[in-house]
Amino acid sequence: MQRIIYGTLSLVSLALCLIFPIVHFMGKIKADRFKSGFLFASLAWFIFATLWATRPKKSSKT
Amino acid sequence: MAGKIAALASRLDKLYEFDREPVSPDKLQSGGKFAGLFAGEHVAATEFVIGAFFVLHGVTAKDLITGLLLGNLLAVLSWTFVCAPIAVRTRLTLYWYLRKIAGPGLTVIYNIANAVLYCILAGAMIAVSATAVGLAFHIKSPSLSAVFPNSLGWVLITFCIGAAFTALAILGFEKLSKFAEVCSPWIFIVFIAGALAVLPSLGVRSDFANVWEVAKTKVWNGIAAPGQDQFGFWHILFFAWFCNLAMHIGLSDLAIFRYAKKWTYGLYTAFGMYPGHMLAWICSGIMVVAVGRQMNPGLMAFEAAGFAGVAGLLLAGWTTANPTLYRAGLALQAITPNWPRWKITLAAGTLTTVISCFPVVFMKLLDYVAIYGLVLMPIGAVVFAEHWVLPLFSMEQYRAEKYGWMVNWRALAVWIGTLVICFFLPIHLYFRWLPGYFIALVSYVLLQAIKKNHR
Repeated sequence: MQRIIYGTLSLVSLALCLIFPIVHFMGKIKADRFKSGFLFASLAWFIFATLWATRPKKSSKT
Repeated sequence: MAGKIAALASRLDKLYEFDREPVSPDKLQSGGKFAGLFAGEHVAATEFVIGAFFVLHGVTAKDLITGLLLGNLLAVLSWTFVCAPIAVRTRLTLYWYLRKIAGPGLTVIYNIANAVLYCILAGAMIAVSATAVGLAFHIKSPSLSAVFPNSLGWVLITFCIGAAFTALAILGFEKLSKFAEVCSPWIFIVFIAGALAVLPSLGVRSDFANVWEVAKTKVWNGIAAPGQDQFGFWHILFFAWFCNLAMHIGLSDLAIFRYAKKWTYGLYTAFGMYPGHMLAWICSGIMVVAVGRQMNPGLMAFEAAGFAGVAGLLLAGWTTANPTLYRAGLALQAITPNWPRWKITLAAGTLTTVISCFPVVFMKLLDYVAIYGLVLMPIGAVVFAEHWVLPLFSMEQYRAEKYGWMVNWRALAVWIGTLVICFFLPIHLYFRWLPGYFIALVSYVLLQAIKKNHR
């Protein structure tokens, strides 16, 4: 379960990393807001993706 | 001399012992794994430099797009039709397959050459990363024509980064490789985000209506920077094709494709080529224009994406330098008797760090990439000839293994001879490997035809 949560959060962070420059490109936010938003989304990605990658995979029994 | 080479070969054999046997069917991997592997492997710090150099070499937008589309396609096809079929038939690494063909002695020479080339490549990664750290300390990035370090600060920064990369490589390659897997999707996003963020400053409207006009007139406008050769379609096509020449035509990636279920898995390399070697190069081209066409990857990343951009550049450098240092260390282990793993990595790291002080390694990166592929290419031709062409003419294969030759002198002669001919070919460096490949292929088959009973 934890793996799924961390995986989802890491994907959301990565999506945010992409959304910030798009919003800046569209002129909705200024460069400094984009840069700080991108930095925080990046930090979130590294935290959640590392947690996701280090959780053991659920072993399937047949 | 022969005794020394035999001892070196024996030590190297022990190091590669774990992959001596062909891969068994239960170890084969799915296509998705190959797609993921290639997607992660081809977004490195050097992409910041390569795409930017295309702009400085005055490529036009049309030549860039068509050259990258076709050049990367040729690279994918080279993996699919040259490398992968041999890999799935033999299920061996290049090391063990070359040993059967060229003999253990030549395999040692090949490994050492490879190690030195790896160190130079890792040195370029460190130098690129140094431009990012240099920003914080106001250290001027070297000029385009720089060969030697331009300041004590530059030397200190490259030494610090080299020491850090080496220390991390010593601390644990396996765990760091896992962390590198986490980095790779994000590094790719850094390129996209950086390019998108600077587009408004170049005058691109938010509806993208004028993006092609801006690309043609402001980014890839066909005007080369002073002192840079003018590049066109063929330069781009060949560069994209040979950028990983050692891996596909040179057959280094036998190590990867021996785990493929089918040779068609070579097509999965497109997941590395088009996002990494096309999109990332286009993005870095846009970023260099935003900083006034200065070849300063650190400044490019900072201006485009702030501190996250700088971190992206550092991580892109480190994630590529780390396995490169490891491979160089492994290759050098043959000539360093009984040295522990940390000592070898330290030696490779020290050599790499010294190389990284010289900015020429990244200021002439495009030429170095060409030379790297060119130097190893004849060995790929020898293996290809031995695998496919000799059976066609009913010629005996694997004579080095059968007769216990330490060095297959024909293979060595073809390797050296091809490089000498390529050196004198009156064409641009980027185009030399292609005739060189056929020269190597034909000359090896001809030399093998002159059969003498060597025992």
